[in-house]
This record gives sequence, structure tokens and C-alpha cells, in this order.
Amino acid sequence: MPEPEPARMLRLHFVESDRHGGKPLYEAVVERCRELGIAGATVFRGLEGYGESAELHRHQIGRHEQPIVVTIVDTAQNIRILIPVLENMMQTGLMAVSDVERIRLERSREL
Amino acid sequence: MLRKGTAKKVTIYVNEDTRAHLGPLYEAILTFLLSKGVAGATATRAMAGFGGHQAMHSSKIEARAEHLPVRIEFIEAAPKVDELLPTLYDMVTDGLIEVQDTTVVKAAAAERQPEATPHREEIRGKARLMRIYMGEADRWKGESLYEAIVKRLRMLDVAGATVYRGILGYGAKGHTHKPGLWVSRDLPVMVSVVDTPEKLSAALPEIEAMIGDGLIVFSDVEAIRLVRALPEAADAGT
Repeated sequence: MPEPEPARMLRLHFVESDRHGGKPLYEAVVERCRELGIAGATVFRGLEGYGESAELHRHQIGRHEQPIVVTIVDTAQNIRILIPVLENMMQTGLMAVSDVERIRLERSREL
Repeated sequence: MLRKGTAKKVTIYVNEDTRAHLGPLYEAILTFLLSKGVAGATATRAMAGFGGHQAMHSSKIEARAEHLPVRIEFIEAAPKVDELLPTLYDMVTDGLIEVQDTTVVKAAAAERQPEATPHREEIRGKARLMRIYMGEADRWKGESLYEAIVKRLRMLDVAGATVYRGILGYGAKGHTHKPGLWVSRDLPVMVSVVDTPEKLSAALPEIEAMIGDGLIVFSDVEAIRLVRALPEAADAGT
């Protein structure tokens, strides 16, 4: 069994309506991560929440104000490079980093 | 009140026509086990067999049909078995008693309602958070992988698991998981689990073996209050 290795987890919190370069911010973030060769990124949409602007983000017809969380797990080195890049793309929101241990399973590539 | 985990399985071989007091010995043994609150016992009549007397007992030999072997089996916790064995040793005047180690995977009593307040286990303080990333389309032995993982975690008595579906992402497989309207979906899925470090280390090898491509991430967390009812202890008061 592969041993867990130390890594860092970066979480970005913003809202679905945030945009960057003519597309939703979460799409732009995932694309940027890919370009930088980051191991992976996953976008989750929350049901309800509130944040910096203190207004409640919830789903309303015609508005996309639901909270978005992007989680990225990679080495401390890669996360350090990534943070300033993503900081420039986000206007409002929250970035949180934590220490984690990861096990990468890439069996189809090993074959 | 049989619990999950290690236990002892006792097998007793007697003859159908061996008697104890007024009835057959196997009935006397079953009555004794029931009176001692043994979780369950089964007596099975054999088709044929031979024992200490080196004589073949078979239903085909009519004259000896009454002399068929009967096997009584029950499973109990080791201390309980220790308590019962001396009496059984006394009772079985003609036959064989065998004890072996076993593992109880599930002991459920569906028809019985919990009579006492269910016993609860509380987790406070140092705990671990395990996040398992995979694709929604990943499968394990014919069922979706995330469902199989949740089922497995439940069987392993892990406190709880929550499945999240992402809306976009990429990872171990290298392809982007994107929502499509008519195409089959392979969105990212994450299962998050919180329990004690020991519980999660025990579950890890089994979960890890089920995943082809994916990522497992651990972090230390502080459990404020994590309470779980232990269903198998619910009928402890009976």
C-alpha cells in the first residue's frame, strides 16, 4: 500500500457569479491549475452560505449566487507557487491552507 | 447480545438417540444454552457419519436411522464460552466438543425493538478527517465506487461518511470532469469521513484497495462532538 506523504491543501471560497477573463472564476481557476501542472483541483457548489459581503448566498432563479469551494491538494512547494497566482484572480473570497497527508492512487497509469 | 468482532464458535457432535434424563441430549443442550442467554444455537441432523465408536451411522441403514449424528453450533464471546464449557463437558457423555476462533461480521436482530436507550459512543478531541476523491463513473464490482465505499465504511463501524459531488475538476485520471447534458456523467465525487485515527487507519487498507485512480487526503481535526449509537448494543438490556 502506498504510504501517506505530507502535502498541503488549499481551499478557495467564493461565489458562483464571480468571473475572470470572461468565464466563471471556478473554471478559470481549474484551467490555471492545469496549466501550472498542479496535481488536481475539484470544484464543489454549496447550497447556502455567507461570506465577506455578509449577504446570504442562496439559489434564486436567474441568479447564481451559491457558494463555491475549490479544493486543491499538492506539495507545499507547488501550493506556494499557486497562491499568488490565484490571489490575483480572486477579487473577494477566502483562501485557506492546511497541512494534510495524501495517498495518490494512479493505477491505470501504472499499467 | 453478540457483538461484532472476535468470538468463539463451539461445535458439539452427539448422537440423535443419546439421552439425558427424559429427553434427547441435543435438546437438553439447547435448553441449557437458551437458559444461559446464548445469542443463538442451531442443531443440525447429519446425513451420515461416524464417531468414537467407529460405526457408520446413515439414514440409508434403516436399523441405525435413529442413531444419526447431530451437530449443535453456537457462537458467543470468549468469556461466555469459558463459562459454559464446564457444564457442556459434563453433559456430553458421548460425543465431541470443539471450539474455534471466529469473527462475527454482523449480528442483527431486525424483529427486536431496542428496549433500553441505545448505548452511545462519543468522540471528542483529536480526530482525523479523511477525504477520498474519485470520479462519479468509477465502479467497483458492478456498483458505483462511492456507494461501495460508504457501505464498506459502515460495515467497518466508521462513525459517518458524506458524499459530495463536485461541479468541475481534474485529478489522477488527467481528464477534466465536466457536467454534460446528455452524455454520461463523470463528475468529481468526494467522500469525507471523520473518526478516530485508529478507526481510520484500520479502514484505510480496505478502502485503498477499492480505488483505481484517486486521492486520499488526511488531516488532523478537533472533534467537538461526534456521537454515534451502537446498534448491536441496543438490545443489551434484554
